[in-house]
Amino acid sequence: MTGLFSSAGHKNARPAGVLVLVLILLLLTGCATTPQLSPATRQALPSQAFNESVPFHGQRKYQCGPAALAMSLAAGGREVSVDTLIPQVFLPDRQGSVQPEMLATVRRHGLIPFRIEGEFAALLDELAADHPVVVMQNLSLPAFPQWHYAVAIGYDLPAEELVLHTGMTPRRSVDFARFNATWARSERWAFVALPPGELPAGDNLDTATRAIADFEALNGSQAALPAWQALAERHPHAATVRFALGNARHAGGDAEGAMAAFREAVTADSEFAPAWLNLGLIASEQGRLDTAREALSRAAALPGPWQSRARQEQQALETENAP
Amino acid sequence: MKRLTRLLSPLLILALVVGSLPAMAAAPAAGQDLVGTTSVLDAQTSQQDRDKIRRVLAREDVQQQLLLQGVSPSEVENRVAALSDAEASQMADRLDQMPAGASVVGALFAVFIILLVTDILGLTDVYPFTR
Repeated sequence: MTGLFSSAGHKNARPAGVLVLVLILLLLTGCATTPQLSPATRQALPSQAFNESVPFHGQRKYQCGPAALAMSLAAGGREVSVDTLIPQVFLPDRQGSVQPEMLATVRRHGLIPFRIEGEFAALLDELAADHPVVVMQNLSLPAFPQWHYAVAIGYDLPAEELVLHTGMTPRRSVDFARFNATWARSERWAFVALPPGELPAGDNLDTATRAIADFEALNGSQAALPAWQALAERHPHAATVRFALGNARHAGGDAEGAMAAFREAVTADSEFAPAWLNLGLIASEQGRLDTAREALSRAAALPGPWQSRARQEQQALETENAP
Repeated sequence: MKRLTRLLSPLLILALVVGSLPAMAAAPAAGQDLVGTTSVLDAQTSQQDRDKIRRVLAREDVQQQLLLQGVSPSEVENRVAALSDAEASQMADRLDQMPAGASVVGALFAVFIILLVTDILGLTDVYPFTR
């Protein structure tokens, strides 16, 4: 530093210092620019969107996580008070809530948390579909972070403003650039919480499948059935989704429906061994021996982790039904 | 070490299978149990038995960590149960580094000045009075 200023003398030290400060700041923050939205994206979106039905819950000290959750759960039809949520999601020693537990708590209250893709356009898509979006921001700089959860409830494209329920302020307008800078520091983490049967506007099949499967693991197949149904309607040719639908129907005692779903799964992907296997198992349970034999032999012919199980079941079927 | 894992792995697999037996027994209307949805999803993302063992251990680990972070013992089990396998192993691996809450912003005057400037520049959103 001294080398830099020695030739300039003392008089010029102050502007140089300011310059250095600004440079450091730019290094620290990167540049906040208005997020780039392609003209096509702008065209496809309504110029304004605002979800009035999201109630506001003010946060108490540090407890933005529970407050954001309460708002997003209420929008999905689950009224849970912030006081109920605090012991479920808040980490007292960290004075905050971590992302996995935010998602887990949504699940506990019967809604499905879908992560959305970390892109500004994806966020606007959800808002245009009237889905409030829980976002994580770092309101401060990476060196002294101030992590924060808020709920985005609307936007105004011409004004370049996002509307957030945040902290103690309902319906606060923040310009796109500022929001984008603070959101980018959480790697653009965001999710929507939706009741089973509703799907996010974003069309990522793998993410949605995982989200519903995780929900099902906690809340059971009966609760997840409408979600599988909706996803199967949106992706008619996704074998995995048909398979999941079959399992959920079977768990609810609907053997016919389950077999139909497994058949659709193997129609979509004839080498999908677990679907053949499950179809065979239910068919043999139902006494449909021809179907069972065919399905199990198809499963047994496909290499993979289910082949040995399929062969066993095939043998068992033959010995049980030996003439 | 290798010998130890070779010895332990079958035991853990056995423990897992036995542990999941009550769940199997509780499945309604199932004379035979079908291949589950999650096991197919796991196979598609090539998550094998060894990962599964690690994830079971991860849940216990997370439970301990949450207790240490001040979560009440009556809540901790439900909180861990609500996590997906992937979330539980993320938490076990790096709960310490996960972003949560606020560090003490503005305790230093210099920090206050820097954030004031970045707030005015529209880079941060710390002091509402700058707008």
